[in-house]
Amino acid sequence: MLEVITMDKWQSYRDRFIQLLIYCLVLLVSAVFVWILFDLIKGGWSHLSWEFLTQSPFDAGRSGGIGPILISTLLILLVALITALPLAWTTAALLAEYVPVTSQFGKTIRFSLQVLAGVPSIVFGLFGNAFFSIYLGLGFSILSGGLTLACMLLPILVSTAEAGLRAVPQSYRLSAAALGMSRTATLIQLLLPAAAPTLAAGLLLGIGRAVAETAALLFTSGYVDRMPDSLLDSGRALALHIFDLAMNVPGGDTPAYASALVLVVLLLCINILAMKLAYGLQRRRIMSL
Amino acid sequence: MSKNSLFIGLLCFAISSSWFSGANAASQRLILTGSSTVAPLVGEIARQYESMHPGVRIDVQTGGSSRGINDTRNGVADIGMVSRALKPTEKDLQAFAIALDGISMIVHANNPITALSKQQIADIFTGKIINWKTVGGVDARITVVNKAEGRSTLELFLQYFQLRNSQIKPHIIIGDNPQGIKTITGNPHAIGYVSIGAAEYETKRGAPIRLLALDGIDASIENLHTGVFPLSRPLNLVTAKIPRGLTQSFIIFARSQQVRPLVKAQYFVPVRVD
Repeated sequence: MLEVITMDKWQSYRDRFIQLLIYCLVLLVSAVFVWILFDLIKGGWSHLSWEFLTQSPFDAGRSGGIGPILISTLLILLVALITALPLAWTTAALLAEYVPVTSQFGKTIRFSLQVLAGVPSIVFGLFGNAFFSIYLGLGFSILSGGLTLACMLLPILVSTAEAGLRAVPQSYRLSAAALGMSRTATLIQLLLPAAAPTLAAGLLLGIGRAVAETAALLFTSGYVDRMPDSLLDSGRALALHIFDLAMNVPGGDTPAYASALVLVVLLLCINILAMKLAYGLQRRRIMSL
Repeated sequence: MSKNSLFIGLLCFAISSSWFSGANAASQRLILTGSSTVAPLVGEIARQYESMHPGVRIDVQTGGSSRGINDTRNGVADIGMVSRALKPTEKDLQAFAIALDGISMIVHANNPITALSKQQIADIFTGKIINWKTVGGVDARITVVNKAEGRSTLELFLQYFQLRNSQIKPHIIIGDNPQGIKTITGNPHAIGYVSIGAAEYETKRGAPIRLLALDGIDASIENLHTGVFPLSRPLNLVTAKIPRGLTQSFIIFARSQQVRPLVKAQYFVPVRVD
């Protein structure tokens, strides 16, 4: 009896210890983010103003703002998403709904996407430069930058969307079939909305990777910090601007901090917006039925 | 879903197609690629040139001097930017210097060393001297900071000290100048070399680094200007053929008196064009 009690005590101590350890590790992980954010705010907050967000950069970015760079970044992102999303989500629907898991065709596609996911971004940059900029004659432009990013985003978007569709319970498909819904209607009306949170999570991962990309854009969308007139103009992405200010322009540290702060806030805003859209879609589609 | 998202889709399409059609609005366009050291300067010169010549667009891209030379040869770029003198194998190109830059050896400000001889520097970088005590400093291991392959500063450094890159035993390899300065700032026992302009700028702003005199000559913008400092390089614009039209006009402008304030603002030394 005595032995059992001491055993229990020891076990509860051990449980407490493990719990404490987990809390500490969680704190450590959040501490990294808080530290980065604190560092950015400390270095860049005083430089931040409405003028900084709207003006053109002057003196190689030491003074002036990041207006054209923000616009270029958003345009590159828009081109990348408009190109990649339809391709990725239809591929995911094909892999998850129309092709058996064990089929050779599906395996080949999945394998090639996995390889694509492991390719370093500078390789995408060189490919984009050789294919979009030179072979297709798009030159250094927002369009070739966006298309290069789209290639980079495909693996993330396809694999998350496929996982999301596979996670929808089989009973949904059976019920839809029992009600006489066509496969297309089932996919559009039921499965995609049900998988919306996963699709949104994949979209966020993709946006995060796209907005933070430097190497792939240096040789495709380029270095020009002027306001773009068209998608065929070169436009500098925000991450590239931060890299240039921090590493290439002496005295560019403060604007680099401020630009990085803008980038982080931009990502947060996009994340919140995408989450809201996804849950809204799911509620309208499924809950209101 | 359909009505709303269809509308948004159409809107996106309309916006994008209108952006496409506006593509050829600028009548004349000049593309420059090359050295990341020269790019910020040329970017500023281009901005001024554009404001004086409406309808002209000048796109400045980077990627390094070798890229500038390749792109100019292939015709991808109209003008290349090269941050060194042309090599004998590159004499097919035309070079036009727009500014001068020097290279200075730098150490941490807490390091008591103020000058090193050419031989001492060569020995430190080839690993023959590994402790600061040997050259009269504190008893500490030397951290050698070298530039990455393909950087013009590296080529100039190797040429001046008559070394090959394979002989150098670096502990840290860096890219651009501010990165080098940050590396030295964070390591009291490091030695490296960066552009004089960048180093002077950072010392004025209080960065704890010291520029070492070379062969008894102080590393400073003045000594670079008068031409006595030995380790210097021209910043060049290169073209494949003898420049004509817009290319010629831009190169003349980039070498004119008008851009001197811009050259000085980027911590380079203007060249005399006679």
